[in-house]
Amino acid sequence: MVLPPVAVVAVFIGFPVGAAIAYTLGKTGGPNSTIALIAQRQHVAKHGVTFAAYREVLGNAHVRGDLWATVWVTLLTIAAVVVLSWAIGLYVRLSDTWIARTVSALSVIPLFIPVVIASYAILTFYAAQGFIKTLAYHVGWHSFPTLGYTMWAVVIGEVWVNVPFGVLMMSSGLNSVPNALIEAARDSGASLPQTIRAVLLPMNVIPTVIVATFTGIYVLGSFTVPYLTGPSAPNLMGVSMSQFFQSFNQPQQAEVMAMIVFVLAAGLGTIYVWANMRAAKRASQTS
Amino acid sequence: MSESTTPAGLLIDRVSKDLAGRTIVDDMQLEVRAGELTCLLGPSGCGKTTTLRMVGGFLQPDAGAILIDGVDVSRLAPEKRPTAMVFQNYALWPHMSVFKNVSFGLRLRRLPRREIRDRVEQVLELVGLTHHMNSFPAQISGGEQQRVALARALVLEPKVLLLDEPLSNLDAKLRVRVREDIREIQQRVGITTVFVTHDQDEALSISDRIAVMSGGRVEQYADPTTLYREPATHFVASFVGAMNFYTGTVADGAVEIAGGVRVPCEGARRNGGAPVEIGVRPEDVMVSTAGDGAEAHVLREIPRGHYKELVMQLGEAEVRAFVGPEVSTSERQRVRFARAVVYAEGVLRPSTEPAPLR
Ligand SMILES: Nc1ncnc2c1ncn2[C@@H]1O[C@H](COP(=O)(O)OP(=O)(O)OP(=O)(O)O)[C@@H](O)[C@H]1O
Ligand SMILES: [Mg+2]
Repeated sequence: MVLPPVAVVAVFIGFPVGAAIAYTLGKTGGPNSTIALIAQRQHVAKHGVTFAAYREVLGNAHVRGDLWATVWVTLLTIAAVVVLSWAIGLYVRLSDTWIARTVSALSVIPLFIPVVIASYAILTFYAAQGFIKTLAYHVGWHSFPTLGYTMWAVVIGEVWVNVPFGVLMMSSGLNSVPNALIEAARDSGASLPQTIRAVLLPMNVIPTVIVATFTGIYVLGSFTVPYLTGPSAPNLMGVSMSQFFQSFNQPQQAEVMAMIVFVLAAGLGTIYVWANMRAAKRASQTS
Repeated sequence: MSESTTPAGLLIDRVSKDLAGRTIVDDMQLEVRAGELTCLLGPSGCGKTTTLRMVGGFLQPDAGAILIDGVDVSRLAPEKRPTAMVFQNYALWPHMSVFKNVSFGLRLRRLPRREIRDRVEQVLELVGLTHHMNSFPAQISGGEQQRVALARALVLEPKVLLLDEPLSNLDAKLRVRVREDIREIQQRVGITTVFVTHDQDEALSISDRIAVMSGGRVEQYADPTTLYREPATHFVASFVGAMNFYTGTVADGAVEIAGGVRVPCEGARRNGGAPVEIGVRPEDVMVSTAGDGAEAHVLREIPRGHYKELVMQLGEAEVRAFVGPEVSTSERQRVRFARAVVYAEGVLRPSTEPAPLR
């Protein structure tokens, strides 16, 4: 019964990944022979493997700049998404007003807007002649920075795209905490902030980890938002990866960059798995 | 009501509360003496939880005031009130050990570690759970979780303890045991307590006084014996304990019910002769095979262990009687009432017995 899915994964994911890894290590034969025919600046291993492609890519200051930009945009987006989804989730959880319900409804709207459209919207909103700048100008803030085509626009875009999922996740996590647990804390003398810290926070570690890791993985692999709203260089790895692949015709270097991004994403994945295992362990020892 | 000048442990003073456009608690007046255990008893939806939540500070009364030891606490937030609540589902924090759960409020008060440890140990000893100090809530049984919740409430030494159907998640046997534990602990600590339940058995067995609620109002507030013997209203009579009800008239020494059946009734005194509601407890129905009682046919006999319940046809009406298991029953029985309560327009008429009345 498990064989068909395993076979599908092996053929459609395992095999290409294996071939790509081999290619980055200089194996240009077999399944990689076609791409090897047209690729430029290829590093070929005569015997065994070579790390020359990795050395070249990591030795490239531009790529290192992209990598650094990718890391800080990812971390900043994670932080912003976690904070925002906690704030909105908490607000909706703790206040049952129509404003709260409206806020929670509005916060998931980005989910239904295609990323391309959203990116262009963000671009025009923050562009040199955009809405925000115009507004700032009118209130007398002439030095207001132009965010369009900067990494800040990328961060705003990534946050915009990821907040709905974060809010959905945090709301459902927070809503699963019974009212009585919150009231019991208040009854014991805890103020609202103390209640959040002692009850809601520790009971929502897993949703928080999910939001953080999924957001991180999304940003690491994103293309549309940084491509449309970001600067030419440095930009996120997703963008420069595609440049190496398409514009420079250097698929081996592009695949090396993909491997690097994969390692970063795997790091986040490990955190996610670890948190889940810890939760499962706690659940099994307490029931 | 209070003879002394010391303020009540808890005074719910003409409190009203509307929720979603409906009056849930309606001009409620209730005084709980210091150290007393009062049960709020009533059918589902009568406003018991709402009342309790107003005392705990989770709801604001629309009108009236709540006083604890004579001090108005109506405007205080829950964390500022000298009350502690035991929630229906215990509401223990699943990510904290028993020790952490119980010590939470003390830790918030930044007491020295040594003192926290001592007080937690003391209160866990009181509820008999010292051996579970480091267990997590999910690792202990429902009854134990219940006692942890009680310990968590007691450790803060509140002036008023509030319990909202604390036993409803326990099985029948455990429920009886834990309610006795709660009563025992409550008396030992001497804490003013409000206990919400819709189980009359529970209320009758642990309360100093019981407030029977209906539709957001207190129908009767009395000690268990009075409540059972002299239910002030038709509602209380039918809600607390089993009761045979008949429409009929009262004569001297007898009552006359539908179908012209005349049943001898001790202490009955003629009063006007207008039709009234007559209530008779099943244990006050006397059956015998001979004598001057009204004739009845046994329809069913239900063994109840230490007693028997007889369902009999009495004229056009049915009568239920509790008799000893040794009473031999033939198909025909003679029925007398040892005692009856009479209601005119739903309110107790103090006419059927010479016993002291309120
Ligand atoms: N937040 C609320 N909004 C609207 N109506 C409410 C709210 N809370 C309670 N009610 C209503 O108030 C009435 C009384 O509720 P309450 O919880 O006080 O009843 P209760 O006596 O505790 O009943 P039970 O024995 O079922 O617990 C119910 O009809 C309930 O539907
Ligand atoms: Mg209730």
